[in-house]
Amino acid sequence: MIDGEAAGRLLRTMWRIRLFEERVAQLKRTLVVHGLIHLSIGGEGVAAAVCGQLRDDDAVYSGHRAHGHAIAKGAPVDRVMAELMGRVDGLCKGVGGSMHLVDAEHGFMGATGVVGGNLPMALGTALARHLKGTDQVSVVFFGDGAVQAGHFNETINLAALWRLPVIFVCENNGFAEFTSREEHSTIERVSDVVAPYGFARETVNGSDVPAVYEAFGRFLSEARAGGGPFLLECLTYRRRGHYEGDQQRYRDPAAEQEWSERDPIARLTEHCFDDDVAAEIEREAATEIEAAVRFARDSPFADPGIVAELVYAK
Amino acid sequence: MAREIPYIAAVEEAIFEEMGRDDTVLFYGQDVAPSDDHRFVQAYGRDRVRVSPISETAEIGMAVGLGLAGYRPVVELLMAEFMLVAMNQVVNEAPRLRYMSGGQVKVPVVFKAGYGFTAGWAGQHTGSIYGAFMGFPGLKIALPSTPADAKGLMTTAIRDDNPVCYLINYLLVLEHGDVPEGEYSVPFGQAAVRREGGDVTIVATGWTVGRALAAADALAQEGIQAEVIDPRTLNPLDTASILSSVEKTGRLVVVDQGTRHGGASAVIAAEVAEHGFGTLKAPIAQVTALDVTVPYSEPMEAYVLPNEEKIAGTVRQVLGEAPVAA
Amino acid sequence: MKQLDNDRLVWMFTQMLRIREFEERVKRTFEEHPGVIRGHTHLADGAEASIVGSLATLQPGDQLIATYRCHGYPITLGTDTKAIMAEIYGRKDGLCGGYGGSMHLVDPGRGFLGTSGIVGQGIPQATGAAWAAQIRKQNQIVLGFFGDGASKQGAFHESLNLASLWKLPVVYVMENNNYNVATRSEQEDANAAAGEPLSVKAKAYSMPGVTVDGGDPVAVYEAVGAAADRARAGDGPTLVESKVYRLSAHGNIIAPPGVPLHYPEHEAITVFGNREEYEAALRGDPVPRFRARLIEQGVLDPARADEIAQEVRDEMDTAVNFALEDPYPDPAAAARTDYVYA
Repeated sequence: MIDGEAAGRLLRTMWRIRLFEERVAQLKRTLVVHGLIHLSIGGEGVAAAVCGQLRDDDAVYSGHRAHGHAIAKGAPVDRVMAELMGRVDGLCKGVGGSMHLVDAEHGFMGATGVVGGNLPMALGTALARHLKGTDQVSVVFFGDGAVQAGHFNETINLAALWRLPVIFVCENNGFAEFTSREEHSTIERVSDVVAPYGFARETVNGSDVPAVYEAFGRFLSEARAGGGPFLLECLTYRRRGHYEGDQQRYRDPAAEQEWSERDPIARLTEHCFDDDVAAEIEREAATEIEAAVRFARDSPFADPGIVAELVYAK
Repeated sequence: MAREIPYIAAVEEAIFEEMGRDDTVLFYGQDVAPSDDHRFVQAYGRDRVRVSPISETAEIGMAVGLGLAGYRPVVELLMAEFMLVAMNQVVNEAPRLRYMSGGQVKVPVVFKAGYGFTAGWAGQHTGSIYGAFMGFPGLKIALPSTPADAKGLMTTAIRDDNPVCYLINYLLVLEHGDVPEGEYSVPFGQAAVRREGGDVTIVATGWTVGRALAAADALAQEGIQAEVIDPRTLNPLDTASILSSVEKTGRLVVVDQGTRHGGASAVIAAEVAEHGFGTLKAPIAQVTALDVTVPYSEPMEAYVLPNEEKIAGTVRQVLGEAPVAA
Repeated sequence: MKQLDNDRLVWMFTQMLRIREFEERVKRTFEEHPGVIRGHTHLADGAEASIVGSLATLQPGDQLIATYRCHGYPITLGTDTKAIMAEIYGRKDGLCGGYGGSMHLVDPGRGFLGTSGIVGQGIPQATGAAWAAQIRKQNQIVLGFFGDGASKQGAFHESLNLASLWKLPVVYVMENNNYNVATRSEQEDANAAAGEPLSVKAKAYSMPGVTVDGGDPVAVYEAVGAAADRARAGDGPTLVESKVYRLSAHGNIIAPPGVPLHYPEHEAITVFGNREEYEAALRGDPVPRFRARLIEQGVLDPARADEIAQEVRDEMDTAVNFALEDPYPDPAAAARTDYVYA
């Protein structure tokens, strides 16, 4: 169970992400947003429930499907939108794009385009915290597809061996790109893959926001007290294709129906809010997103010459 | 008989047909034919066509093991940068095992990947990193720039008894072109003269071949006749054809989508500087990407890459018809 | 798997002795003929029972891929020890013409597809060779050998997942000697740190994981044999953790040219000051242990055992002398493009 105030914050974040992503999908069709885009529609609950409990000085790493995580971690939606439009006021001055969002000020240490590439990075950040003796934690989001990659194994062993304050959050949506999980592994549940390592681990329904909030909250307080590592597997649903443009011929229509009933926003609204309050929250988020789009459109492109300045730290 | 088909279909046709001729050819990788209804699976079965998880070291390492065991795997790696995840297998194992064994074994594998997708795919998916691979003897590199070459070079890659990095440029996948039906192979180490001309030699790779041809058309309006050469394979590299062209024209502009340092253009420029010095009437010039990670935003991305204007401008400089840039 | 009859047991003992004597002669070369062996060699003394027990399960057409600690496998398979020694000495009649050296032996005709000098990187290659065996449908298997250090590598994780998913006919044999160069397993492995056998890692891949005393060749034969039978039947891979103790240091010292190379003492002593651990391992040396057991069981009589030992010494003497006399390759052979490219 979560209290009213927390529920309100979560719903607001989820609507912010949902409307942001829907707007990005539209803008992609008219090429105002270009390139390779991966949307988190359906995954808002996990992003909000996890990041909403973290501080700016906790580090979050994410994969290629990172907009929701960045926004939930505190990246301003207007600067994320500007980044997706490649403008100078984007988080990364337009240099990174969707898969390479960074907002260091809010502890969003980066998305990555290479599946699982950020797992060992999260470990490094956790080690730094451990050495400094602070209670900051390191969180890394990844999908079920990343679990078969070698760096997952290497990272897991070290995290367990050194007992680092890192929380691995696996969004298991049952697909890696265009192939379903049973073509990738004989183990259905990601939390069972780490079973040999004695990790504290749990699997929750990613559409049940209070459940994610509660489970992550428990891991978080243990991590702050010096415990670790942890694996939280959230069963989620990827509403849209792997990337925008993916025809999704590989999906089963019955599964579609079943999961449309598991929209995290609809469920939280039904359980915790009356319609007027929920509608108001949605409207406020819509206003924010429209303002973000205007901000982004008004932002110019950077002078291309800046590329030479960004290669090396001075 | 040739007919017009897109580049991407030509690649697939080569693999499909070659698998029909030689049942030691396998095809696998991420998202390769996950459905049993896919024509490759229907034709060749699950022994030879499989989908694999995101496990580059295993995917590429398995190819090495399959090669040692007498098979000819084609591994779909999707993007050239994903080979970096398994760098050891690509450069330290596959191309070195034959030599270290004193010639006892061979590793006949094809690493198929896309590169250069400069359409907003951003810093980690967009590079042209094959130049670095030229430094690993034993590893061949093919860069088809036309649909016909896409088919012909893939056929040769599969038949080659060595590891081959077969790289398709993602910007070319929908380009249509005449592709011969049936068995068709293009030899490695044989450059193609895409356009003849006597004033300057432009050597260009992959997608930049089209840019060079467009620049050549523009230059022709100014009375400059450029010869455009497409090496087609970087290893083996047809230096002889390049030198013979430079002997005719006296001027060389090398164009490549990769960076300036550690890239294909540096190797080609050095070969001509060393072996064709006496034929040169002007210094060699290179048109490459800037030495930066490819940025996401469209104007920045365009700024960083070679294009028709940069190529034409460099040709004019080399002909002494434009002031040398600061 | 076949029952081990007396002849087979004596064969196993002989192979163990051959490996031991060969490795001793390699080690002695550093003292007796300094400068002859260059680079880095890694010896299998202490692992003989595990190597021979595993290879005793092979049938025609089976294959294996090993690590840089590779001398023991071709010795057991029957590769000419003169050629192996000459390869280690860098001579023209070496197994690989002097091109590979100690870490890169190969004998494809006997099923030894090769090695990798890089920890863990032979595992995916063995996995690929197993896919080939699966296609051939001749009930053949592949043995993939690696050390405990390799089990932390991504290559291990990726390969075991795939082999299990595709039910490949491979047996993964992890020779756990508790050290990864100078680091003890419990310093680098979460399972070892928790006091668990490393075979528990198999759980993450839905395959059986078994731990066996790698100092007992019969136990190894039975464990690997059961796994091989499983693989031949199409039921997929197994992880066999074979516990061994290497009796030499990880390898000879690493030093620039001009500094004489030699074998230091085992890391248990030089790094951890734990001489007692090492002495206990010496007392448990699998070679004399197996000899004593065969004699006690009446399979072998002491006189025959001594005879075999002498034959083995003679064989390795011949190997060393051959290799010392064999000329170096013509330097220009390095540029043979037909070895760079097939």
